[in-house]
Amino acid sequence: MSTEIITTNQLSKFYGSIRGIHEVSIKVPAGGVGFLGPNGAGKTTLIRTLLGILRPTKGTANVLGYDIKSRINEVRDRIGYIPEFNTSFIPDMTAMKFVAFCGRMNGLAHSESKQRASDSLYYVGLGEERYRKLGTFSLGMKQKVKLASALVHDPEIIIADEPTNGLDPTGRNQMLELIRNLQTDQGKHVILSSHLLRDVEQTTDYAIVFSEGEILAQGNIKQLTSGRRSSISVKVKFNEEHFLNNLKDKGFEVWEEGGFIEVKRVNDTENAIFRAANETSTEIRYLGSRSSTLEDVFVDLFRNKEGIQ
Amino acid sequence: MTIESNENGAYVKKFSFRPFAGIRRGRLYRIWSISWQWWTHEWSRSRAVKFLIGFQLFTLLITNIFILTTKDFLLLGGLYESTEQILEQTLISLVRGIVSFQTEIRGESHGSGDNGFDGSFTIGGTSLFILILAVLVGSGLIADDISNKTNEIYYAKLEKYEYILGKFGAFFIFGNVIITLPYVIEFGLLFVGLGDIDLLAVLPLLFQVILFTELVNLTYAAIILAFSSLTSRKLYAGLTTFMILFLASMIVPALAFKDNLVIGLELLSDVLTLLLISSYIIMGEVEFQLVSMDGIPYPVHLADGVGIEGWMVLGGIGAIVLVGILVVIIQVYRRHST
Ligand SMILES: Nc1ncnc2c1ncn2[C@@H]1O[C@H](COP(=O)(O)OP(=O)(O)OP(=O)(O)O)[C@@H](O)[C@H]1O
Ligand SMILES: [Mg+2]
Repeated sequence: MSTEIITTNQLSKFYGSIRGIHEVSIKVPAGGVGFLGPNGAGKTTLIRTLLGILRPTKGTANVLGYDIKSRINEVRDRIGYIPEFNTSFIPDMTAMKFVAFCGRMNGLAHSESKQRASDSLYYVGLGEERYRKLGTFSLGMKQKVKLASALVHDPEIIIADEPTNGLDPTGRNQMLELIRNLQTDQGKHVILSSHLLRDVEQTTDYAIVFSEGEILAQGNIKQLTSGRRSSISVKVKFNEEHFLNNLKDKGFEVWEEGGFIEVKRVNDTENAIFRAANETSTEIRYLGSRSSTLEDVFVDLFRNKEGIQ
Repeated sequence: MTIESNENGAYVKKFSFRPFAGIRRGRLYRIWSISWQWWTHEWSRSRAVKFLIGFQLFTLLITNIFILTTKDFLLLGGLYESTEQILEQTLISLVRGIVSFQTEIRGESHGSGDNGFDGSFTIGGTSLFILILAVLVGSGLIADDISNKTNEIYYAKLEKYEYILGKFGAFFIFGNVIITLPYVIEFGLLFVGLGDIDLLAVLPLLFQVILFTELVNLTYAAIILAFSSLTSRKLYAGLTTFMILFLASMIVPALAFKDNLVIGLELLSDVLTLLLISSYIIMGEVEFQLVSMDGIPYPVHLADGVGIEGWMVLGGIGAIVLVGILVVIIQVYRRHST
């Protein structure tokens, strides 16, 4: 049995001539994954295609073993979806009624839907407010209602599209914590779509990076960060210019950042640095390894992409 | 803030999330839950709906009291031949009142239409009231989902055609409660109140009443939902629908009646009058009169090859319903899948 929960093969979706996603082939591993990418990268398009809201222009996809073309309703019952919009849905309906209604649309019997709606609302921390009308809720509460309505039918996968949009720091942390707990405590697979790297880093170990409808990179966040751009920070006493050029001549990628000289780590980088220091008769005052954040990777990926074009 | 988050944590532990082990219900149940959810919500929040029901029942009650107290007089005076006929005439004119604005156009059958009572029990406001309420309530059915983005939730859980069926179902619940049910109740009340009636003799009438009101429901549903799907503003949808239906029935008959002898085909663009004429078709009548606002009766013959014909009327209604449904389908499928 494979451990992938979602696989797509050359999946494309065009809005007329506008590109939503283009030949996306991904394998989403069990557990948690972040969909990362700037505005318009195609995250929402991919999610909506996986849910059968949009019909793919080309390609195939498979969710938990069900083909999205022939078995989409099996897929829908197994996914809890938090759309990205900020809306109160049915403003003069109580949270309870709305969430229970969502459960019934996924096939829960009437009494079961009420019970589970109540459970879900307690779970997201809206137990006390569950009989209040949605229109009176704050943005953070609305987001939690969305989460509750995505949980009510007990899906295996939760897909949250920009769930922290517009939230203050407290709300943001609460939301991310809830989502992370779903993975760690409840054993759900969680997909978090965001253009904020911090959100993804806080919640998942695995990331898929999107840009302009295509996949730039996918992999474990630790690997992505170490593989792509881990560097060695160096400070030298004098002859900085010479030292830098010497390393460049040796074929290293070198740049300055925050008062340090950064040397991209490849095999045997440290030795080369010491040799360069010798050859340019300078003195190394500081040498440290720097593992970059996902943010750096992200920026780097885009830099490379633009360079290619 | 930390206290709040701790409280939340406690709730999570206390109510921990139970896995769902039951069997999921089928597709029909889910479609029905859209319809039913909408209706119960509309019912609980809308005073107008409750008021209309009350108004309808009040009208029927007054009619009943009047009919039952004058029953003997009506029979002795020779105005009616039997209690069956009283039941028939009363109910038919009440039902026609759903689609005919009493002040403007009114149908009368040959023969029994001259007794002065035909149609006089219909309170003119009923038709207008029903139309306004149907539009008021129904035009939000799809438009609200678009403006509140609720359709994203529906489409993530259901097929789009299931959503459409659910919305039509929702309107049908409304239509059956507001339009069909009161007249079925009225049938029962008159039947019991008048007494002495052979049930088998009047049963076809009950079926005709149900058939006609369901035709009205279907037509209203198709038109109102079509306009509702065309905009995200409930108000625009509602106003447009109402203006088109209302103005057509104010203006078109006058044009269609220009020529005294032949009723013009302009009438085909007036949905309400088409529905009125279809009530005659359902009752099996081909010859009758339509009375214009100034009281002039215009003879209509639906099977003489001149002017408006029966098949045109039914075809016209069919076409309107079809176009309405098509608009909804195209809008729902196009709006989010281009
Ligand atoms: N309904 C639509 N009609 C036409 N083009 C669309 C539609 N929805 C999205 N697009 C286009 O498809 C591309 C991908 O958009 P998408 O919403 O999937 O990006 P995203 O990664 O979710 O961005 P964001 O972070 O802003 O949510 C964009 O160029 C967008 O303009
Ligand atoms: Mg998006």
